[in-house]
Amino acid sequence: MEQELQILWAAVTAYVLAGVVAVVGVVLGKRPERSVLVFMLAGLALQSTSIALRWERLGHGPFITMFEILCSNVWSLMTAYTLAYWRIPRIRATAAVVMPLMFIMLGWLMVAHPGEGHYPPTYNTPWLYIHIGLGKVFLGAVLVAVGLSCVILMRHAGLGRQRLAQLPNSAQLDELAFRCMAIGLIFHTLMLIAGAIWAQDAWGRYWAWDPLETWAFITWLTVAFTIHARLAYRLSPPVHAGLVLAVFVTAFLTFFGVPFISATPHQGAV
Amino acid sequence: MVCTVKEDKGTQRNAEQAWADHTKAQKGHSTVASALRSLASLRLTLILIALLGFGIAFAYLWEGARTWPLVIPLILLSLNLLAAVLTNVVFRRQTALLVFHLALVALLLLVAAGRLTYLNGYVGVTEGVPFDGVLSESEHGPMHAGEFSRIRFVNRGFRIDYAPGLQRGATLNEVAWVGPDGRWHESRIGDQEPLILSGYRFYTTFNKGFAPTFRWRSAEGTELRGSVQLPPYPLKEYSQAAEWAPPGSGLSIWVMLDIDEILLDPAQHTSFRLPERYKLVVRIGRDRHEMRPGELLQTSEGVLQFEGLRSWMGYRVFYDWTLPWLLSACAVAVLSLSTHFWKKFAARPWDA
Repeated sequence: MEQELQILWAAVTAYVLAGVVAVVGVVLGKRPERSVLVFMLAGLALQSTSIALRWERLGHGPFITMFEILCSNVWSLMTAYTLAYWRIPRIRATAAVVMPLMFIMLGWLMVAHPGEGHYPPTYNTPWLYIHIGLGKVFLGAVLVAVGLSCVILMRHAGLGRQRLAQLPNSAQLDELAFRCMAIGLIFHTLMLIAGAIWAQDAWGRYWAWDPLETWAFITWLTVAFTIHARLAYRLSPPVHAGLVLAVFVTAFLTFFGVPFISATPHQGAV
Repeated sequence: MVCTVKEDKGTQRNAEQAWADHTKAQKGHSTVASALRSLASLRLTLILIALLGFGIAFAYLWEGARTWPLVIPLILLSLNLLAAVLTNVVFRRQTALLVFHLALVALLLLVAAGRLTYLNGYVGVTEGVPFDGVLSESEHGPMHAGEFSRIRFVNRGFRIDYAPGLQRGATLNEVAWVGPDGRWHESRIGDQEPLILSGYRFYTTFNKGFAPTFRWRSAEGTELRGSVQLPPYPLKEYSQAAEWAPPGSGLSIWVMLDIDEILLDPAQHTSFRLPERYKLVVRIGRDRHEMRPGELLQTSEGVLQFEGLRSWMGYRVFYDWTLPWLLSACAVAVLSLSTHFWKKFAARPWDA
């Protein structure tokens, strides 16, 4: 286990370096995009190795204990953001906002207890991997939308207007954030369906209002509400950005808060 | 001439009446159209989504309030969606969006139909004793019309391994049933594999335990077999006792299993098994007896014979005919929504 943790520490160091370089780049008006991407990719490679070693040792994926949930969520969020960073060069300056957000989760991860948990027999199904994988794509899409929305809100508040000038105008960022939310809605819906199929096979009910199911549905409603509100009221970029942040807070409570207060992700269903 | 004038007056009156009727009908149509437009409002959708959110929070906090706080916003949302589909031109221009919203309406209606016709129950079945179609606990929707009482199957035993710390492993349960062809079929069910008979799904649960089986011969000469399912093991390891009344008798037989060995060692890898060293304590009134397999006990109302110890498995029973339709509606909804956004976003590049 020592080796896994050492590699994880190295990954965290690489992520922190990526964030620091991104922030310094925006503050100094420079564009060290290649360095940021290299650090992010290095962090991802190291964290993937750490997760693979733990998976091999325990015989199950990283989704039982709080440490594992945090670790896999950091990995999936970084993967989603790195993909967006690579494929949409014009939004790369948002790394200065997104990476500090990631620091909070990284700090939490490093203080979580890395001990192993019990893998219940009802978790031994491909639907678990499909369910979790779809949820992680949803969270990744929302994280990219949050980065874009934070830039819109900072501009609106008169913060770092010059520093973030290299980014497209707020209307374009808003359109991108909307697209990310649309992707998020589709993957969140798929996650709920996969989870319901798994729950039916494992526990004989497709829905039972357990804490995580309830919060996941509330999150789905906040995403649907945000998309409809933008269409119905033609919201201005700052208002839409505020709603995107509200979705992120709800999703964060669902993905991190509920497992934190429950002994298992679906308490009572094990 | 007079006649013509009269006719003209009549025609004019008819025309006036017709015009009045037409105006009234138009007013009626416009009232309906305006009501439909109000019902179809996107702003109302937003309010109803928020209302559903409150309903969910309410249902989550109060377990007894899981019907109306959810059903009312769901019905209103389906009406809002239907009205939107009928009145909004957008849905005629964008087929994928129309299909998505129709799939949502279908989903809402299917969930409601499922709630009206579902069955949820529980039954413990002793190994080798055929299930007789009677559940020990059940609840069902007001329109449930399945023929559950005809269902028969046999629990042929199970295997469950435990890791150190009494961590339960996979459940592997052998079952047999008579198919529609009149022949016996066998299969293995478990944690992700229910037994499905006539649409009823039997799921193994973590409830399982021991069941002493008896042969009862009453004073009148009638003979029957019965088993007493003791509380779940190892969940209630220290209260392995239950009461049993042989049918047709006024006796109350208290049975306790006193296990004289460690069955599931928390320090080792073990498997669920029947005990080898045990005493079966039988108490009838003030009389206490210890019985071994095959032993007879003469009572005031008949003869009780302890045949031996078996295991029992607890099954959760679930029936909801809407399941495949719900899945189909979900698939259509996701596919149409993805198509809609794909078309919308493909029109302009992401890195514009």
